Amino acid sequence: MNKKKEIIIAIDTSCDETSAAIVCGRCVLSSVVYSQILIHKKWGGVMPQIAKRAHEERIDGVVEETFRKARRNSISNWKDITAIAVTYGPGLAIALGVGIDKAIELSKKHKIPLIGVNHMEGHLYSPFVQNSKGSPDRDFQFPYLGLLVSGAHTEIVLFKNHLKYEILGETRDDACGEALDKAARMLGFGYPGGPILERLASEIDNVDKYKFPRPMIGTKNFDFSFSGLKTSFLYFTNSMSDSDKLENISFLASSFQEAVFTTLVRKTMKAMKHTGVNSVLVGGGVAVNHRLRTLMRRMVKEQGGVILFPSQNYLNFDNAAMIGLVGAIRAERKLFAKSRSDVERVARLSLLQSSIK
Amino acid sequence: MKISKSTIDKCIFETVKVLKNGGLVVFPTDTVYGLLVDAKNQVAVKKLLKFKDRPVGKPISVFIDSINNLKEYVELNNKNKQILQRILPGPFTVVFRSKHTLDLALESEKGTLGIRLPQSDYIQKLMDIFQSPLTATSANMSGQSPHYSIESLKNQVSSTKEMLIDLIIDAGKLPHNKPSTVVELISSNIKTLRTGDLPFVDSKNFYSKSPSETRKIGQMIIEELTTMPTNKAIVIILIGDLGVGKTEITRGIAKQFGITKIISPTYVIYYEYDISHRSSEISQKRKFIHADLYNIEEDYEYNQLGLTTYIKNKSIMVIEWGEKLGDYYNKFKKDVKIIQIRMEYDGKNGRKITVIK
Repeated sequence: MNKKKEIIIAIDTSCDETSAAIVCGRCVLSSVVYSQILIHKKWGGVMPQIAKRAHEERIDGVVEETFRKARRNSISNWKDITAIAVTYGPGLAIALGVGIDKAIELSKKHKIPLIGVNHMEGHLYSPFVQNSKGSPDRDFQFPYLGLLVSGAHTEIVLFKNHLKYEILGETRDDACGEALDKAARMLGFGYPGGPILERLASEIDNVDKYKFPRPMIGTKNFDFSFSGLKTSFLYFTNSMSDSDKLENISFLASSFQEAVFTTLVRKTMKAMKHTGVNSVLVGGGVAVNHRLRTLMRRMVKEQGGVILFPSQNYLNFDNAAMIGLVGAIRAERKLFAKSRSDVERVARLSLLQSSIK
Repeated sequence: MKISKSTIDKCIFETVKVLKNGGLVVFPTDTVYGLLVDAKNQVAVKKLLKFKDRPVGKPISVFIDSINNLKEYVELNNKNKQILQRILPGPFTVVFRSKHTLDLALESEKGTLGIRLPQSDYIQKLMDIFQSPLTATSANMSGQSPHYSIESLKNQVSSTKEMLIDLIIDAGKLPHNKPSTVVELISSNIKTLRTGDLPFVDSKNFYSKSPSETRKIGQMIIEELTTMPTNKAIVIILIGDLGVGKTEITRGIAKQFGITKIISPTYVIYYEYDISHRSSEISQKRKFIHADLYNIEEDYEYNQLGLTTYIKNKSIMVIEWGEKLGDYYNKFKKDVKIIQIRMEYDGKNGRKITVIK
């Protein structure tokens, strides 16, 4: 705690959020997520604003705002910054490119080293991100099992030590968040559908009336597949009359959600038993779902383990603060990018590629 | 005025009176303190925008009194209406295409309108009496954080701004509820391709009984396609319903280029993969693109996706929901070799796959 902490500015443009943050070690001094600003402005632009121009238009403002907000934590200019961390994958190629180009430009201009960060490393570390006052005070007690769940990802990771990862299982087709969104669409809801399913399910106490198949639950590995579940849900809802569907809409929502979540829980439990690792981390957008949190907490408690979630809501979603934390860990170990090719975008970057030996 | 159980009727009576005269009222909502004006009164809305320093084109959502009256303001089909009855009242802002019956300044640039029907006794009671839409924006300047107490509001507001407020209803400190989740119920704006748009002459049918057969068919199709040398990009448009096997067939196609880990790109729109090059003639810039246009809502978004770069690089592009390309397709059809694959359900587990060249 006493040694001098690295101060990192981080940039993440992996998909539809433009975000930047300044961190000191694990403490977030300021964090700006563009869509967050818009939520404050009510529903201005949370529609998926994909792609390049949108990021290009926002990035300078977001970086500026990050500095402005960091002033109250006495960071005032680029001289205070040790390194620039930037997400170079996985994500949408041209979106990643905007963040990387900006990071390279700033690195040259201010003569500060660059650090390439894997977006999924960020999610894995997200339960350890602290606010500016150092809360929550959680020590690293490796190893961990990480369950990463979002609209684009579903994976179980063995997090052996700092920057050392092994992927135990991952989705072979759709991500769990995507499956929830698509099921919601089949029921006629708009985007995003996950929160609606959660709400409908909670109204009927998460009853699992239809018992949809738990995909790949019996297999020996830790992989996931939600595409088949999606198809059987489609067949099932198509076979119902409109009035029948409407009458049972909460049960459909709940049963689908239960199928997805019990699969996540069971596979995580299997991985705990297989590895003997009892400390579990959960990150990614789907981790905000209360039902998933309850089921995971219950299971981990029964296994005699501990479970950690991100301490603040925004840390579940795409954000640069978690990228900054990984940047700080890499900076402490002098793991800077040696050339431009070290931060070249990799749309389907795997955690394995970012793991140190 | 302070609101409580005993003063509620009086407070609401006063609020209605002020609103009817075009006044601006600070009022407790289910989330934060809100700014209410009559959404049909242009002068009142103007006053609100002045208070908020709201840039033009940034929409403001409205409270409505009942779902039954919704169709006066927005485009709504019966199915949507029945669904809404399930989630409202609740912490959702639902976005629709507007019928432009309220003040246009409340709409987004795209002509959409956000609707709130909150779970709040105060608002509900107020709406029961007022019986016409009210603005539902938070009581803070654009870009600043919302207020949970009247004191924090007063600290932020300048005295000139304070003069604009006609009435404050004080419910003390509000619980720190999250802002509402925004959900879209807008039918897609996208023109899909008509059959006549595509210059196809030759078609061939395949029948698949399993995902692995679907993959093999994909492999066969691309093998045949790449035996003839081409110096154009190859675009494969996949058309078919959710769950019909579009990602499976892509997997077969990708295998031909040495790519094995295909997952659904729905969330990020597309994934870019490097192609393992066997011949040096082909540009190193050539990529394999797996796109899914499912979440694209507006035509202009295509221009931001950077797809033309890939066409210049003679890449291989597999595009799920490619029929949504609409007019955009016409922009590049001369520069690519294009095939269309239509996938349909055929019996219980079977699929009919039609390749049109």
